[in-house]
Amino acid sequence: MEVFNPNPTIFVPTKSRHAQFAKPHSLWLNDPDSEQDTDEDDSDEVEQIDQDEIFDLIRSISDPEHRSMTLEQLAVVSAPQITFNSKVPDRVTVEFTPTVPHCGMSTFIGLSIRVRLLRSLPERYKIDIRVKPGSHESEHALNKQLNDKERVAAALENPALLEVLEQCLSTAGRST
Amino acid sequence: MSRRESRMEVDLPGKIELIADLPGHEDKAWHVAWNPARPLLASCSADKTVRLYHYNTISTSDTSDSSSSLKFELNTSIATGHTKTVRGIAWSPSGQTLATASFDANIGIWQQEEDEDGEAENNVNGGGEWECVSLLEGHETECKSVAYSSTGTLLASCSRDKTVWIWEVHPDADFECMGVLMEHSQDVKCVAWHPTEEILASASYDDTIKLYQDDPSDDWFCATTLTGHTSTVWSIAWEPKEGGYLASSSDDRTIRIWRRLPGKGDISFECAAVIEGHERSVYSISWAPAPEKEAVKDAGGKNLGWLASTGGDGTVLIWQINEVPGEPDKSPKIEQTLLARLDAAHGVHDLNAIAWCPRAGMDGIFATAGDDGHTKVWKLILS
Repeated sequence: MEVFNPNPTIFVPTKSRHAQFAKPHSLWLNDPDSEQDTDEDDSDEVEQIDQDEIFDLIRSISDPEHRSMTLEQLAVVSAPQITFNSKVPDRVTVEFTPTVPHCGMSTFIGLSIRVRLLRSLPERYKIDIRVKPGSHESEHALNKQLNDKERVAAALENPALLEVLEQCLSTAGRST
Repeated sequence: MSRRESRMEVDLPGKIELIADLPGHEDKAWHVAWNPARPLLASCSADKTVRLYHYNTISTSDTSDSSSSLKFELNTSIATGHTKTVRGIAWSPSGQTLATASFDANIGIWQQEEDEDGEAENNVNGGGEWECVSLLEGHETECKSVAYSSTGTLLASCSRDKTVWIWEVHPDADFECMGVLMEHSQDVKCVAWHPTEEILASASYDDTIKLYQDDPSDDWFCATTLTGHTSTVWSIAWEPKEGGYLASSSDDRTIRIWRRLPGKGDISFECAAVIEGHERSVYSISWAPAPEKEAVKDAGGKNLGWLASTGGDGTVLIWQINEVPGEPDKSPKIEQTLLARLDAAHGVHDLNAIAWCPRAGMDGIFATAGDDGHTKVWKLILS
């Protein structure tokens, strides 16, 4: 397979917060005296998931080209690149930065981010995936196909692609 | 639960009521199609099946609140044998044949086996199993849409392979390929035939719409290209009575109405209206002739019918489309009036398809298909 970036720059990952979907009731997470619900889910309360929680979901996805590296270590994803629509908080834009402008793995990386979030976030979230402006020579084409639900759905029915995707996603749940 | 800000909105003349909620697909429902001759509604899905629902017909004399008397029930689930998502379905005008378009690149042609008495046509509740009588191969990648011409003698299909195929329908489920049109530069998302003439329209990821005609002495050719949308065109629908207009919906969140220009020779169009209102991609539109008695009285002009639209924002919008005279020696104008709005029609999920029922006595009835795997049937009620 053609290698696009044989010598990637590796970044030191930040410590993971003790990331849970926010429990709004008690300041003391382990307070035995509090009356908080422990079995709340997202059906009745609209809990907003924040930037860091979404970042925690995607930071440990493996880079397809350098499988022992995560997207965080290669600075492909970062928390500040995750933004919410102020009027509609369930619409999220995740921006990612390919390591080199001609990176042929960018579609795959974008797809892995989308699939990870599709499987992890409550159904009400609508995700837009974008490359960082100026970071890729085919920026428009890349953004267009990453956000075409039909192309995404068809790609996920491709067994060969799905197999590599699952491998890259298998590291996603690990904390650093 | 609505997470959207409340809107300051003038009351709309219409409201949309739920008639039936039909779950059952185990994955996204991508498309719905009403049988034009029989009381059957079909839906198709990423679960690779087609579900057929039978409904009882309302008598045309029943003009009062008849929505409670319209009942839908599952007739059958067809395990199509497609190896990937079934993305599109289309009924032949006779209502006897169903075509399926799949991501596995094939098109299935389905007919009911005759039951012992040979009365498949009349027996809507039974009538035998649906079997695949023909498999049309040829597309290289996912097939997105299939459509029969108004006479049923032609079938069109399109694909991510950028082509549009035109097939001639022969007896005994024999199909002959009449043309492979390679005019688009990207995936072709949807094909739609003119309601009376043999003119085909196609919508593409390349942001354009193309129109095709048949040259009797030669081949099918692309007669004109409509540009204007700024992103993928997902769906197209002809004005249903005369086909004087074509509507299109796009990833750019707008709907465009194109007027067919008069004159002999190759067809040509101009853009007559750009309709905004959706907040995300508009995946599907459907155009029905409005019954005269339901025409909004203050709109004026020629009533071209009702356009229903839906998409990634989960909202159904229904527009009255009127043609009004333009200035002297100028083209007539299109005016759209929003009749009704329904948010969160399938909860938080995208809607992928919307289709008006074409049968007599079913005015105002339409169906939607969503990412929740549900098919829903609705009625537009005008006050």
